[in-house]
This record gives sequence, structure tokens and C-alpha cells, in this order.
Amino acid sequence: MSQPLVELRHVDRSFKQGRVMIPVLKDINLTIAPNEIVCLVGESGCGKTTTGKIIVGLLGQSAGDVLYQGRPVGDYRGKERAAYRRALQIVHQDPFASLNSAHTIGQILSYPLKRHKMVASRAELRRRIWELLTLVDLTPPGDVVNKYPHQLSGGQRQRVSIARALTVEPKLIVADEAVSMVDVSIRVSLLKMLHRLRDQLNVAIVFITHDLALAKYFAWEGRIGVMYLGRMVELGPTPEVIGNPAHPYTRALISAIPEADPEVTRHKQRMVLRSEDIPSLTEIPPGCAFHPRCPFYVPGVCDARVPPLGQAPGFRHDVACLPLTHGDGLREYRAPVSEEPG
Amino acid sequence: MSHNKVVLSVQDLSVNYLTQRGPLKAVSHASFDLHKGETLALMGESGCGKSTLNLALMRLLPGNARVPSGQIIYTRRDGSTVDVLKMGQDHLRRFRWSECSMVFQAALNSLNPVLRVRDMFYDTARAHGEHNQHKVRRRALDLFRKVRLDPERVFNAYPHELSGGMRQRVLIALALLLDPQIVILDEPTTAVDILTQRTIIDVLLSIKDELNFSIIFISHDLSVAAEMADTVGTMYAGEIVEIGPVNDMFYRPRHAYTLGLLEAIPRLSAGAEELTSIPGSPPDLVEPPSGCKFHVRCPFATDICAQEAPPLEAVGERHSAACWHADRVHAKALEFTGAES
Amino acid sequence: MGIDHAIGFGAAATPTGLIIGIVCGLIPLGLGLRKGFVRPALLGFAACVFGGAAAGIWGGLLMIVLTTAVVISYAYVDRQDPFTSRASLDQVNFEETRSDFFIRRMAALGRTTRSATHALVRNKAGFLGFLGLLFFFVMTVFGPLFIEYDGESHMERRRPGASSLYQGPSREFPLGLDWAGRDVLSHVVYGGKNLILVSAEAGLLTTIVAVALGSLAGLLGGVVDQLLSALSNFILTVPSFPLLLVLASVITFDNMTYLALLFAGLYWPTLMRAVRAQVFSLRERDYVQAAMALDLGMFHIIFREVLPNMISYIVVNMIFTIRSAMYNLVGLVFLGMVPIQEPDWGVMIYFGRAKGAIFNPQAASMLISPIIAIALFQLFLVLFTRSLEEIFNPRLRQGL
Repeated sequence: MSQPLVELRHVDRSFKQGRVMIPVLKDINLTIAPNEIVCLVGESGCGKTTTGKIIVGLLGQSAGDVLYQGRPVGDYRGKERAAYRRALQIVHQDPFASLNSAHTIGQILSYPLKRHKMVASRAELRRRIWELLTLVDLTPPGDVVNKYPHQLSGGQRQRVSIARALTVEPKLIVADEAVSMVDVSIRVSLLKMLHRLRDQLNVAIVFITHDLALAKYFAWEGRIGVMYLGRMVELGPTPEVIGNPAHPYTRALISAIPEADPEVTRHKQRMVLRSEDIPSLTEIPPGCAFHPRCPFYVPGVCDARVPPLGQAPGFRHDVACLPLTHGDGLREYRAPVSEEPG
Repeated sequence: MSHNKVVLSVQDLSVNYLTQRGPLKAVSHASFDLHKGETLALMGESGCGKSTLNLALMRLLPGNARVPSGQIIYTRRDGSTVDVLKMGQDHLRRFRWSECSMVFQAALNSLNPVLRVRDMFYDTARAHGEHNQHKVRRRALDLFRKVRLDPERVFNAYPHELSGGMRQRVLIALALLLDPQIVILDEPTTAVDILTQRTIIDVLLSIKDELNFSIIFISHDLSVAAEMADTVGTMYAGEIVEIGPVNDMFYRPRHAYTLGLLEAIPRLSAGAEELTSIPGSPPDLVEPPSGCKFHVRCPFATDICAQEAPPLEAVGERHSAACWHADRVHAKALEFTGAES
Repeated sequence: MGIDHAIGFGAAATPTGLIIGIVCGLIPLGLGLRKGFVRPALLGFAACVFGGAAAGIWGGLLMIVLTTAVVISYAYVDRQDPFTSRASLDQVNFEETRSDFFIRRMAALGRTTRSATHALVRNKAGFLGFLGLLFFFVMTVFGPLFIEYDGESHMERRRPGASSLYQGPSREFPLGLDWAGRDVLSHVVYGGKNLILVSAEAGLLTTIVAVALGSLAGLLGGVVDQLLSALSNFILTVPSFPLLLVLASVITFDNMTYLALLFAGLYWPTLMRAVRAQVFSLRERDYVQAAMALDLGMFHIIFREVLPNMISYIVVNMIFTIRSAMYNLVGLVFLGMVPIQEPDWGVMIYFGRAKGAIFNPQAASMLISPIIAIALFQLFLVLFTRSLEEIFNPRLRQGL
């Protein structure tokens, strides 16, 4: 097994808000191999974007280790550090904010190429810009190079963002909800292009999204990690996680999603959660953060210990659920009679 | 549903925006009927005109909009009809909210941050002539129960104390306060998480049966339409290109754009999937393509598609499509969905 | 004296300047006519002549560059550039000669100039402001060619039976006579230059200081930000005009530039705060984050990412600072805190009060003329900002 590209070990991350420290990430363990596709899914506030930024190096961690090619990122200095920073790039969600409308597309792509001396002459610069634009299917490139971002559509702007990330020949790209603000009919072509880039250029892709169906399609040959309130609750190959979900939260998500098929979606069995309230990050429930809402809650177990991400019998991927990993499996929770309102 | 009476009839509606380059044809000759208790989903992507159509229905269009043609015939409970586009200001004020209301996206700034929820309800009621606060309160709390909100707590809360999903449901309750016949929903589930979306969909399904009002909702999310709609219409470049019962639209579409959308959406229940995107991008609405506006991006296009715009024709029971090649689309669709004809 | 006087700014409004302008204008004229673009050629020639006549060789050179660029932009079609051709990658040759490169750059400059001009004209109010400012410019630079400065007292002009030398408007003196029997019109024509120059200096200096410090505070944050904010807070709490008054009365100014410096020193905090806030918000934008991820460097981020998006804001605020400086200056002069240096609009108002013009109906013109001049100038400045907003709005740019 080749050396992992990026590794997160027991990574915590907290933010200070006023006097309070808000724990946004807790104990994240993730290994990304070269050329791999990993999807991080979860609802808002789960920490997936923060994880993406830590992977790319835009944010530091509050605790734990972040390794690049086996070495802690803090150890890189000078030229090696510059190379490390270039190797990890990010593509943002909003096509309208990710490009500076003061520059033409050609200028936007030329800055990193010139800065990192990736081209030797003006002619080579222009050739490289054309190559990149062709790579992201913006053809003919001549039509686009002198345009300003506001003259392009959302999908085209995302392609430019991706081309910009590719200028420095990265080894990993984090796509943070990169297709969420793009038209539905165009999303697929962007995702297919990302697949192609991964094959041709040997780039690993971390895809962050809240759309489970999209994650399934994009990462079918990769892995999915499901996050809840700052923790990774399930992680494994996509066909496993989607086809045979283990964690109650993942099951709830899968059952909740409507499908573009009337018969299927109207007869789908919905999982009912015990509570609708999403705890705020300042008041995370003890033990398993999902236990107040979990229909399979086991009192005394789920609220006592934080479940570690591990193997569970009957599943070929990791899950953070004590009844599954250390117990007899999931059993529906029945509230004692005395809990009913008087 | 077709034997129910028609509550809203939009006929040949066109809306232009005046721009520097000329009139932008945001909506072109849109026509559809909405029956009592029916849920109509208008699907489309950016630039298709669905938002403009929505605004036109309540006459909330911005200053640079012009309506060169069309009628919006609304049928009141007593059976009389009136053209919304020709209503006077007084009448329009009564129309808005008591007969037809709108639920906007649940962004934090759609609710006044300095007012409590109850003040919003009282204000709205007062603006429509209902001064009895007890009555308003009773109705509001009743509606809150129906949308699964903790009635007392939410009624007295400020907007920032509520989550996004709760705010959306408050807006739904507010829209139903005056018992309208029609509720228009603008992208009701777009900005919310999966589990919150689920609650909102369930809530809408249950109260729509209970209170028996008609819904028009616009979205780009076909899966929500598959769950909630009785009738689905797809819009492209300002036109309604296909409209029909939900099962027909999803299993037996007859317009290439509808089929294109269906082929581009990943489904969770399918395993490994082959998806195809629609090449190109939405057309320029100031100088749209000739003939069928979709022909530039259409895999079924032939010469006639570039020359003449196809009319919206019946292709089945209550199912119409504007496509010269509806049959070929139909055949391909059956292949794709695996449905029977 | 000598050469410098003949070809520097000293050549303004002299026949030498005119000749310089004509010579400079031959370049765009010749180029334009050769390429067959008559109108740009003629307009370019006219602009060069005006530039040369107005500002000597500096104006001429500036105009040569701009007008030639505009002419080139007409002649040069972007499609000639392989970079924007519709060919495919393997068919295209990206090599270009130095002269091609030069022409391409000039054409780009020309296009920018043209679109700026269109933006200027598009906004009617802004264009009116621009014309007004142009009028003042012409009056200040070329006025002296036509009107002699009437600086000495003219006792002989007193009308028989009048108690003072004041006179209302007449055919000989369109704006009347002032307290010393001098032609008011000449004072108005000559009196703007100092005031406008010093106000512009003050505005420019204030803006430069505020933008520099604001960007530093915004981008570096931390200790630097705290220090600068504390400093600006301190200066802000002191009432500026009274302080300006006191300082102006204590320090003697032989050069009005010092006054501009003083003004800048007291007024930079307000703009600095605004710039800092803007920089804070721009810093969080996705494209700035992307620039950081791409390791493009601080310099690039400040000058290429952040500032271009603030240019409109900065320029408009600079105009407002100029306005404020002018009012402050006139205020100082009116209160007699600054040494009297005629001709000057502010001084005219001062003398108006000092010499009892308020009580003499004949003196109305002398009092009102400078007031109207200042007010009009201020109005045109404000109107002009409308055009500036359009010109610097990046969303209005159109690539080819």
C-alpha cells in the first residue's frame, strides 16, 4: 500500500466565539491515498468544510496531527513547504465569489503560473492557459480568455476555478460543495470532468457535499465519510455505506431523501427520529452526540461513552456506534411509560 | 383531480424585463390550469422564468417588468372570476394573502429580526382587516401544531431564536393564516438540510390534505416534485415546455428537456448509475434561438426544430408537450425509466 | 526658467504649449488617418492639442499615449491575437514579436480608455459634473489668456455720488467691482487655482495615507491593527476643525502644501476606518482565500485582489475628501486664520465680510460670485462621482 497523501490523526478544531470555545471538530481520523476519491457528507454544522480546510492547510488544527506524505505539515520548511502548499488546492462553492471580477480569465490563470515560474516565456504561458482551459472543457479557449467572470455562466466559472486549482499541478483537490450552486443539468458534466482529471492527472479529490445522492454518484469507486456534529460517524466504500448503512444517522439520512421517482419515493419507509432539535455545538450531548434523536438509543451505553469509529460485525466498513461495534446490534428504543407528559 | 373546479387559469402569459439591450423575454406564452386541492410543481433551472412567473401571479414584479400579453383568471370561492392582472389596488391587497399567499425561502432576512413571530401574525391579520387578536392567536397556534412547531414557544420567539427549518414552517403557517385557496412556494426546500427538508415535506403533505388548498411550488429539485406534486410542469427559457400528471412526467416524458433532467439526476436507490448532462447553457433571453429554444442543446434536434417553434400540444390525458419529436423522446424515456407505455 | 518654463508645466496656456500639443497630436493623427479611422484620428489630435496647451509637455505626453492607444484599439481587432482565436490547441502558434506585444498592450489600454469614456458619458448627471469640472479647469488654465488680473485698487472707478467703490454688474464689468474697485470677474477667474490645487492635494494625501494604513491594518490584523486603530480613535475624538483652526493660527504657512499636510494629518482616520472595514470583508472572500491557497503572496493579494475591488470606493471617497478640504480651507480663510493670498475665492468672501459688503447692495455680486463658484465646483464634484462609480465598476467591463 503506497504512502498516504494526507493523514489526519485525532484532529480537533475549536473556534473562539466571545469567551466560549466552540468545538467544531473532534477526533477526526482520515487517511487519503494518492488518486483517491473521498466524499465527506453531512448536514450544516457537521464540520465537513472545516475538515476540508484543514486538509488543504488553510486552517490549522487545535489538537492532533496533520501529515502530508508521512511528515507533519509543521516540519516542512522553505522550498518543501512551498511545494506542500501547492500540492493541496481548494475549489469553492460559490461560482460568483470564487473569481475576482476585476480580472479576465486569462489573467486569473496567469497569476499562479507566473508566480510559481511554471512557464518560461510569454508564449508558453499562453499555451499553458489554453491547455488548462481545454482540460476543463472550456472550448474554444480563445472565446473565454479575455472575458470577465461575470460574463460567464455559473458552470463555466466553476470550470475556471478548477482550472485555476490545476495551474500549480496539485496532488489533491478539495471541492467544497463545488456543484451545489450550479444548474442540475450541468452538475453531472462537472463531476465527470473531475473524474477524468483524476484519471489523467493523478489527483486525489475530496468532495464535500450535503447531497447524499450526488456523493454516491461521484464517489462510487471511492469512500464516503458521514459526519455529525464534528465527528466522523461512518466511513467506508461508497457501495457499502449507501447499500448497507450502519449508523442510525446515516440510515435516517438515506430514508429521508426524496427520490426523483414518484413510486419509489412515495412508498419509501421513513425512519422517525425521537427529536427534531439539532443540538448546538456549544451543548453537545454526552457520549454519542446523536443519542437524543436516535431511535435505537440504549440508555447507559450511548450517553456514557463516546463511540469510537471501528469495525462492526455484519458490516464491511467502520462505524461509530456502540451497540453495533460492542453490543448486540440495533434494537428499537422504547421510552419508559413514566416519560409521557403528565 | 380533473373533476375539481379550476381555481387559477393562466392563459398565454408573457413577461418581459426592460434592459439596455432590449426586452428580456423572461416568460413567453405560459398557460396552465390549477384545480382545487391540486399541487403543481414548476421545474426548471436558472433563467427558466419560474421565479418571474411566480411573482407575476401575485403581481409582485419589479418596476422594469412589463406584461405584454396574458390573463391570470382566478376563481373565488363563490364561483366568480377575475383577472388578477386587471385588479385594482384595493382588490389586489385583499387578493394577496387572503386568496393567494406566498412562502418565500427561509433565509433569516425574510423575517423581520426585531419583531417577534406573534407580532408578524398580528400585523398581517390587521393589514387584512382582522383585528381580533384572540382569533388570530388561536388560529396561529392551531397552524403551528399542524406544522409540528411547539406552539407557545415559537409564537413568542424572535426569528433568530429559531432554526432554519422552524422559520420555514413559521412562514408556511403565516401563509395559511387567512385561509387562502392558493399557496405559492418558492424553492421551499433548497436552502435546508436533508432531515429538515424531510420534516417540511411531511408537514406540507399532511396539511395540504387537511386544509385542502392548492399549491404551486417552483424548484429545481425534481425529487421533491416527485414526492409532493400531482402535476408537474417543466420550464425552459421562459416557456412551459411540458406539463402533465406526475407519473406521466417522470415515467413517460415527451419533451427532450424533461428527459434530459431525469437523465442528469443521481438517485440514491439506484446502484452504480450512468448519468448524462445536458450540454451547453441556458439561452440568451434577449435574443433567444430561433424555433424551439431548446434545439441548440437537444440530442433529438433536426432542421425543423431550428426553424419553427413547436406548439404545446396534447400528448396524453392532461399531458402536453411542445416538441416536434415527442414520440422519439417517449421511446427513449421508456428505455431509461423501464416503465411501460 | 528657460527650457523648463517652456516645456514643463510652465508651458501651459502659452503658444509654446500649443505648439507642443500640435506636435504631439501629429502622432495619433497620422496613425489614425493611415489606418482609415478619421474620427478617432481627429479627436485624438484635438485631445493632444488641448493636453499640450493645458499642461505643457506632461499633458502632451499623456495624451499621446492615451490617444494613440485609442486609435490602435480601433485598428487592432482582437481576433488577430492567436490567444483569442477560435482555433484548436495544436493549430495555434503563440509566439509573438515585441512589436505585436506592444500593439496588443496599447490596444488593451485603448479599449479601457474607450470603455471609461463610455461609462463617463452614459451617466448624464456624472457627465454634467465632468463638463462642469472641465469648465473650471479651462477657466483656471486658459482664463488668464483672456482676462487680465485686476490686482490694484482703482479709486478712479468710483461712481459719482457712491459711498464706496462697490459696483453691481454692468456691461464693462460683468460681475461688478469689489471693495477696491477691482474687477470681480478677474478675481473669480484667477481665484480658483490655489484653492482647487490645495484642496486636491489635501484630498489626495489624506486618501493615500488612509488607504495605506487601512489596508495594512485590515490585512495584517493583530498588533498592527490595534495600534493603528488606537491612533485613529485618538485623532477622531479630537474635533478636527477647531484643532485645524488653532494649528493654522499658530503655525505660519509660507507654502499652502503644509496646510494640505495638516488637513491630511487630521482627517485620515475616518477614511482609514472605512478602508479597514472594507479590507476585512474582502479578506474573507473566496477569491482571496484561493489566492492564499495558491500562495500568490501578500503583495499580489493587496494590489491585485483587494485594492481593485475597492477602487471605486476609494476614488469616490477621495472626491468627498477634496470637498471637505475645500470647505475647511474656505472656512479657515474666512475666519482670517490663514495668511491672505490673493486672488482667492475664500479671500473674496473674507474681504466681503471685513469690508462691509454685507451692508451694501452694490456689493452683492462680489460676495455672491465666489460663493456660487465654490458651490458650483462642489456640485460638479458630487455629480462627477456618479460617473466615477460607473467607470470603476468592474461588473460593467466587457471583454472581447
